[in-house]
Amino acid sequence: MLVAWRYKQRNSLLQSFDPRAWIIFFSCFLAGTVVFWDFRYLLFFFAIALLFVFTSRIPWKDMSRAWLFIIGFILFFSVLTFFTGRGGMELYTTEHTLTKLVATFQIFGWTPTLNITAEKTMYAVSMLIRVFSIASMTILIPYSFNPAHYGIIFRGLGLPDKVAYGMDLTMRFIPTFGRDFSLTMDAQKARGYEIEKLGGGLFAQVRKLAPLIVPVTIHAIAGSEDIIDAMDLRAFGVGPRTWLEKLTYRKRDRVLIALGIAILLVSVALSLLGFGKFWVPAFLLG
Amino acid sequence: MQKWLKVVLSLLAVLAFFLGVWLIGRMINPNLNLDETALLRFVFVGIGLLIVLVVYLLTSKNKMWEVGTRQVVYMAIGAALFAIFSYLFNGTVFVVPSVSQVALRPAIAIPMFFGYAFGPVVGFFTGAVGNMFGDALTGFGLSPQWSVGNGLVGLISGMVWLFADKKKSINVVLLVSAVLAAAITVYYFLNPSTSNAMFFDVDNGIFGDAQISMFAGVSVLIGLAIVLIVRFVFGKNIDVAAAVTWAMLGNLVGIGFAAISDIWINGYPPVVALVGEFLPAAGPNLIFAAILVPILVAAYAAVQKQTGR
Repeated sequence: MLVAWRYKQRNSLLQSFDPRAWIIFFSCFLAGTVVFWDFRYLLFFFAIALLFVFTSRIPWKDMSRAWLFIIGFILFFSVLTFFTGRGGMELYTTEHTLTKLVATFQIFGWTPTLNITAEKTMYAVSMLIRVFSIASMTILIPYSFNPAHYGIIFRGLGLPDKVAYGMDLTMRFIPTFGRDFSLTMDAQKARGYEIEKLGGGLFAQVRKLAPLIVPVTIHAIAGSEDIIDAMDLRAFGVGPRTWLEKLTYRKRDRVLIALGIAILLVSVALSLLGFGKFWVPAFLLG
Repeated sequence: MQKWLKVVLSLLAVLAFFLGVWLIGRMINPNLNLDETALLRFVFVGIGLLIVLVVYLLTSKNKMWEVGTRQVVYMAIGAALFAIFSYLFNGTVFVVPSVSQVALRPAIAIPMFFGYAFGPVVGFFTGAVGNMFGDALTGFGLSPQWSVGNGLVGLISGMVWLFADKKKSINVVLLVSAVLAAAITVYYFLNPSTSNAMFFDVDNGIFGDAQISMFAGVSVLIGLAIVLIVRFVFGKNIDVAAAVTWAMLGNLVGIGFAAISDIWINGYPPVVALVGEFLPAAGPNLIFAAILVPILVAAYAAVQKQTGR
């Protein structure tokens, strides 16, 4: 029933750390990245992300789908920015036009015009680096962490046993339900269901989603009885839980945690002092 | 005891660090303005969790807070389903055209249903953890206040467990929700030209800056109307009626929490947060809830009958 993530022991830099230490570092990294909009500060986080990606030893063919998705996503956001500058609105108020692209054709009397401004460009670049850093660090997790360690990691981070085990199960269920969803969709398609032709008004559309959502949900709940029985038979939650494997912090893990916390504190301190706001190089403002 | 001491000491250390930054920073540059948006994100997560804690302490005697094997498995299933559905329907995998500026986000029915069927703990975990993993799958940035908001949706949907007699609870909940819905709709009519911050349409070049449509503006009222219809048409099936009404209250409070916290976090003016963000998120959620939650409740009742559990 369980479909696994594509984990393998790869002796990569990431895997040489204790997963708990890496999760702490990762959270600090995320929190540090989101406080900055300045391209130059983001480059630092970008470099860290690249370091982990290039030392991850995950073959391209394993990750290609995930990467293509990320790239598509990033391009979508950059294109989105270029057409509108939306999202940057809170960051800058004036724009300096670099060039103006005017289409040579007209659609119903409207000439498509694209204003390329210094602010938009820098916003797109900053956004790209920001999203790439976050997404690439996140995507390494399922490839690098042993699924058997999920529960131990969350327990080791100080969560109660039951919550840790709940998180463990959640991460194991996600790929399973993903597969169940595509199976259900195929089954419904074989019965003539067409998701591509979701027409009609809002209410009709929502109602038409029920044949996908309800079977997957109910199947998951009905199938959970076996898991519950198996856990109950092993006396889940009766006493304090012990875990099969133990994780221990070594020196390098402590260094990584210290580094992460240092990055977080310095980032928050810098942003509190007003550094790292949206930045446009002076030569673009010309 | 030692553990507590460690936590307190590390918190004090962090506090001392920021005090130091502030004091030293002031000496270097006397005009420094402390910019607190980055911290507020985390402050609001704290406030949300505090709300949960207070609710828990007030009702801690109730058996709905018990977490056994069953609850652990259900919360994991709920969170995984919520993550998968929000990933699939966020517009990157299935591109479903939006109707009158309302995008299809049916995933919200999952925390509502799980909260209602399996209790507030399961509901909260489903919403909060599911939203976190869903965002991680998509690669969206961190917005923990929305995770807590979605968690609150599930938690409040599960509050129905407080009442031995579900029927009694329904009318009070309906009344409270109706007042909230009416208030926000009046607020919309006072500010009808606010832009819809939740609406994106790449093809037509609209990225959260189009004026909110009439439909999105009154969607909370439409949702309320559907909930009322479900309540009275299926009035005999008390499970369906209770599920939709509690899900409605959960949705209004949970999404409201997230939107209101954006006033401080993203620096939105209250009008943008309430009309531009809350209405187009909470209104359609209500519509999805009113249609999908009853179907889920009915299907689950059939499964229960079949398996005898």
